[in-house]
Amino acid sequence: MKKIRFLFALFIGKIICFLVNIINKEKGTNIAGVFACKLQKDFISHFTGIDYNKVFFITGTNGKSTTNNMIVHTLRNSGKKVTSNLEGANLLTGVATALIKDSSLFGKLNSDFFVFETDERYFSIIYKYLPAKNICITNLQKDQVQRNGEPDYIYQKIKSVINKDMTLYLNNEEPRVKSLSKYAGKSIFYGVSKNDKSFVKNDFYDVSLPCPICNDKIIFDYYNVDNIGNFKCSNCEFKSNETIDFLATDINYDKATFKCLDYTYSINNTEPFFIYNYVLCIAICKTFGISENEIQEAFKNFKNISGRLETLHYKNKVIKYIRIKQENPETLQSALDYISCDKIPKIFVLGLEELKDFAPYYTNTFYAFDCNLDKLISSNVQRYICFSEAVAYDSANRLIYAGIDKNNISILPTDDDTAIMQELDKYDINNVYLITWLKKYYELDKYIKNHKEDKKND
Amino acid sequence: MINELNILWMYPDILNLHGDRGNIMAFEKIGNMLDIKVNINKVESYNNEIDFENNDIMFFNVGEIKVMPTIIETLKKYSNELQKFIDDNKTIVLIGASGCIMAKKTIRKDSEFEGLGFLDMDLVERKSIYGDDILFKLNENNMEIVGCQIKMLDTILHSDISLATLEYGSGNNGYNEKTEGAKYKNIIYTNALGPVFIKNPWYTELLIKNALKNKGINIEKILTDNDFALEINSLNAIKNFINQKGEKDVS
Repeated sequence: MKKIRFLFALFIGKIICFLVNIINKEKGTNIAGVFACKLQKDFISHFTGIDYNKVFFITGTNGKSTTNNMIVHTLRNSGKKVTSNLEGANLLTGVATALIKDSSLFGKLNSDFFVFETDERYFSIIYKYLPAKNICITNLQKDQVQRNGEPDYIYQKIKSVINKDMTLYLNNEEPRVKSLSKYAGKSIFYGVSKNDKSFVKNDFYDVSLPCPICNDKIIFDYYNVDNIGNFKCSNCEFKSNETIDFLATDINYDKATFKCLDYTYSINNTEPFFIYNYVLCIAICKTFGISENEIQEAFKNFKNISGRLETLHYKNKVIKYIRIKQENPETLQSALDYISCDKIPKIFVLGLEELKDFAPYYTNTFYAFDCNLDKLISSNVQRYICFSEAVAYDSANRLIYAGIDKNNISILPTDDDTAIMQELDKYDINNVYLITWLKKYYELDKYIKNHKEDKKND
Repeated sequence: MINELNILWMYPDILNLHGDRGNIMAFEKIGNMLDIKVNINKVESYNNEIDFENNDIMFFNVGEIKVMPTIIETLKKYSNELQKFIDDNKTIVLIGASGCIMAKKTIRKDSEFEGLGFLDMDLVERKSIYGDDILFKLNENNMEIVGCQIKMLDTILHSDISLATLEYGSGNNGYNEKTEGAKYKNIIYTNALGPVFIKNPWYTELLIKNALKNKGINIEKILTDNDFALEINSLNAIKNFINQKGEKDVS
């Protein structure tokens, strides 16, 4: 009876996939899975032909989409057949949709690998039906506090699933994920050595995090990314390993190269957090028999998913938009650091808007106080613009507390596109950086396109 | 002679969850605006000695619930000094989950632990996390305070020790309760994040003046609406936002 129910759900799923493909490929990345899982709760557990030793879950707070896509790209580039949820649908239904697409009418799969980005909250649910043997955890950071509360909330969820039958791929330099190794059968560590972009924090107000083992203070010798770097506990023996399986060394940002196990890789994206993604990809691919040359070939033509870094052209201005995850201080810090690398005079537009993911909507900007703005301040910002109907004043206050003169900040308590662009018009500086939510970016993009159309019609 | 305020910043790296280091920055800034020298003394590790005698305020920002039992055990070693600190009407500020430290008991989903018991309340882990804005008025003077809340714990007060009366948000024990936080002597516990002392500098000013008054120093200088223009604009903008929200599916 279960088998018949599964075949029926699969059949419906395949029809939906077919229809979605005709109507709109971009949308509906998990619709087939939604219907199939409604028809049969344990739908994904009935597929056949899956070798769980070749199933990977990529989870964690930041970097899972990029890493997932990079691993899949590298495996496919090496001639492997890979089933994956590349479109970012990382819940049970997204995984189900990927399996529906790649399976036969009877639910049999013949892929070489199964690589799934899995939302950290739903990791345990997906694992229940698809017991992957390989789990990659990129990092566990503060994120989406309205639903996650504190990092330990997600830590406990993930920990409850880890067992001795698993191999974990763990960031050696992120204390929380590093500490999960003791629950797994095998752990493969990856990391990034100290490099030109590594930094230390010595300011009075700099803070780190509690040790996941003993709750005392973690001390970082240096950071490669905020809260990721060579660390040790101030109290217990817990620390990052001195020698690990896969370490990126000799990082040359000018040449865009690094070494791992004596092989030099050329890369397209050189931000420090990207190097972690690359080396995790190497760790997995090497472990499963992909050669260095094949990995390198794949890296050459790897393109990251769009929407993280975009450029808008408005009159003479070039507006560089950097997407951040809402309520996520690490991605905000990475965006600020990215802007800081550009020393050309610039305008910085900050649109930390109200959070409207789910009810109740609210006005959280407190994660901005987790970030350090010193590098931004010394990077030749000529004018700061804060906009948002409800939180422009709070955003501006964060800048003021960082030491920015309040007379150098335009505060726009509005979300009106015209008002934002008119404020930009006031300044004869063409280099503009924008941080805001994706939805606002799309609105501004549309506004600029319409503005150009109006000009043509004039 | 310049007046000095001494603050113990308790476990800055361990109680570091929602940007609340900003609260310490606020005390320094507002203190300076009042022409007071603010000395911030970090207690960084459980092995550090705590100087109760020479400090006026102990500040516990919000941290993960899992660290609270370790902090409680550490502070138990200082029970006499802590009792004297409280009896001397010195100020202790606890934000969010740090309320566990002074509560009688915290009940988690799968375990429970005892606090130091200075506040007549229990904290109970919620089935689901609740995040929202919060707006309330202090019981002592009707001062309006705005912030955000990320509630993993409900607060059950066993006596009439609430800090404030709620105007918007989830109360101590859920959306239908209108009390917020707790206060006993000068132990102040609030769920408000923001950081709350950045967003409400009038409250920061009040606590600074109270702490100094407690050691016989009266501060004449009064900060005005002009000094707090940005924060007042923020308060009004967020009140407008709250007014537009209407009833939401809250618990």
